[in-house]
Amino acid sequence: MDIGPLIISLIYQLFANAAFLFLAALGLIIILGMMNIINLAHGEFMMMGAYVATITYHAGVPFVISVILSFIVVAIIGGIFELLIIRRFYGEELGALVVTWGISLVLGQGTLLLFGPFMPSIKIPGGSYKFGVFSYSEYWLILIGVCILLIVLLWWVYSFTNYGLQAKATMQNPDMAKCLGVSTKKIYTITFSIGAGLAGLGGALLSPTMTIAPFMGQQFVAPAFITVVVGGATNVIYGAVGSSLILSAVKTNIGMAFGAFFGTVALLLTALIVIRIMPNGISATFQRYIDKKSLSTK
Amino acid sequence: MKHLLNLIDGDKDIGRGNKFWAGFFLVLICFFLYPTFVSSFRASNTAFYLLNIPMGFGLCLIWGYCGILSFGHVAYYGLAGYAYGIIAGNLLGNSWGPILGVLGGLVVCTIISGIFGYFVFYSRIQKWIIPILTLVFTLLLETFFVQTSGYQWRVGRVLLGGFNGMTNIPFFQIGTFEFEGYSFYYYCLVIVLVLFFGLRILVNSKFGQIVIGIREDELRTEMLGYDIRFLQCVTFIISANLAGISGLLYVQWGNYITPSQMGILQAALPVIWCAVGGRNSFIAVIFATIVLNWLSFTLSSQGNQYALVIIGTLLVITMVFFPRGIVVMIFEKMQKIR
Repeated sequence: MDIGPLIISLIYQLFANAAFLFLAALGLIIILGMMNIINLAHGEFMMMGAYVATITYHAGVPFVISVILSFIVVAIIGGIFELLIIRRFYGEELGALVVTWGISLVLGQGTLLLFGPFMPSIKIPGGSYKFGVFSYSEYWLILIGVCILLIVLLWWVYSFTNYGLQAKATMQNPDMAKCLGVSTKKIYTITFSIGAGLAGLGGALLSPTMTIAPFMGQQFVAPAFITVVVGGATNVIYGAVGSSLILSAVKTNIGMAFGAFFGTVALLLTALIVIRIMPNGISATFQRYIDKKSLSTK
Repeated sequence: MKHLLNLIDGDKDIGRGNKFWAGFFLVLICFFLYPTFVSSFRASNTAFYLLNIPMGFGLCLIWGYCGILSFGHVAYYGLAGYAYGIIAGNLLGNSWGPILGVLGGLVVCTIISGIFGYFVFYSRIQKWIIPILTLVFTLLLETFFVQTSGYQWRVGRVLLGGFNGMTNIPFFQIGTFEFEGYSFYYYCLVIVLVLFFGLRILVNSKFGQIVIGIREDELRTEMLGYDIRFLQCVTFIISANLAGISGLLYVQWGNYITPSQMGILQAALPVIWCAVGGRNSFIAVIFATIVLNWLSFTLSSQGNQYALVIIGTLLVITMVFFPRGIVVMIFEKMQKIR
């Protein structure tokens, strides 16, 4: 067997797994990094995104538009939750954890009661592409592209837009930001709904690759939270990208050699080891390295 | 003896003084007399509410008193249950089997929670990571036990059983006396009582004071010369063992265990009991555990699918309007009126 196609196949799997982890964790890590709220209803937000995408897709809306719709719908729902409940829990990490858990129970079971246990699935868009002895799903290649697009978009939003700068200021020093006339409450609401919307977007994008069911959110819980724990909350983009790449490198290799279950076990072990070495996650270590470098060049 | 009574009556839990204890013993007498009025089946059902209380205690100790939230106490519940099933099932017919099973279950809980606690507490990770890691740990255990179907997953004579779980787990027995029906109810009641008094002594003792100190201010407690990593780890192991006791009682009650006992929905339950009752009070946890278990049992046995929605809503409402727990806040209101 040729070694070339094998390497390309490994690289493809590495990036496909990383794309999955990235999409599963992005909304969570934004809410955590910007607002210090751990959103245990994250899986359910993803589930709602998948539901919106499925329902609109089967109503005849093109898939691309139904994905965008699911972002908007889940962002609105997330914003409502922020206004009603989450805003009472700023500064109380554990309280927020428990209350979002309650929300997730209600959303999961509520969806089961409203829509029943099964939904028709979405056919994976795009065909497959053959290279050597391996074939690749075009859809996963598109997802990898979408992830890169999202990274660029987020970088642009948080570096150049007015909202992004105000959000960063609020994250660093909420009191000072308030004194300078930033409405931190508004920033928090927008951030939470963007995070929820991204969760919905992730759910919608991943929905063709899995079964749509009310408790499908649960299967995102372990990978998404491990990605966030490893990535840390110091810098959203570094954390999400770095940790999804590292974890996918672990998962791809171990999973290929020993099976999917041991791939997930390896994820947990990696998380335990990473936080033993870097208690604040990859992003904190990376940020420190960059800060040091920029200081030495000045 | 006087010293111990003072510790039991200490100020680290709600409910002190003669009036409270008079009421407490009155209720206790009702609990002791309860089986004489109902059938063995009903008594056994009520024992199910009681057997969950130790896990509530465990979470109350680690969350309410030590300030560390664990979402994964059901992992130890399940581990202890499976360990008991394996050991007692292999020694079927031997009257020492169940006792060795109980010891084995607790040893497994101690070892696993010790390893987990070492990684978590000795790396001084941020507080919010612990609930997530514990949750992921129990989900992994669930996945592991689900895939253990078939004859290759056999320990001695006992099949692990995969998704359908382990069946035919023997009752607890001392000598030739098996605990089931009425006697199981009294067995649970006595264990809950012993644990309740033991924990009241623990939290009011010097150890408890330090643990509460860690909850209030980690850095300051450490500066006073205590090794907080070690103390957190010990508290975590104790509370994992409490969850393990619940798991042992569960398998002795129902004679089976399934991996879904370690699933995400089960993991939510002890957190809900503690949050709704009041997380810094053992007596409130007893109260909330019995009432909420009764509620969800009644709702789901009528085929009502709203049980989870109702319990989830209750949790959200409690967290928003009664952040310290419904039972605790009502109790404090009553004391103010008096």
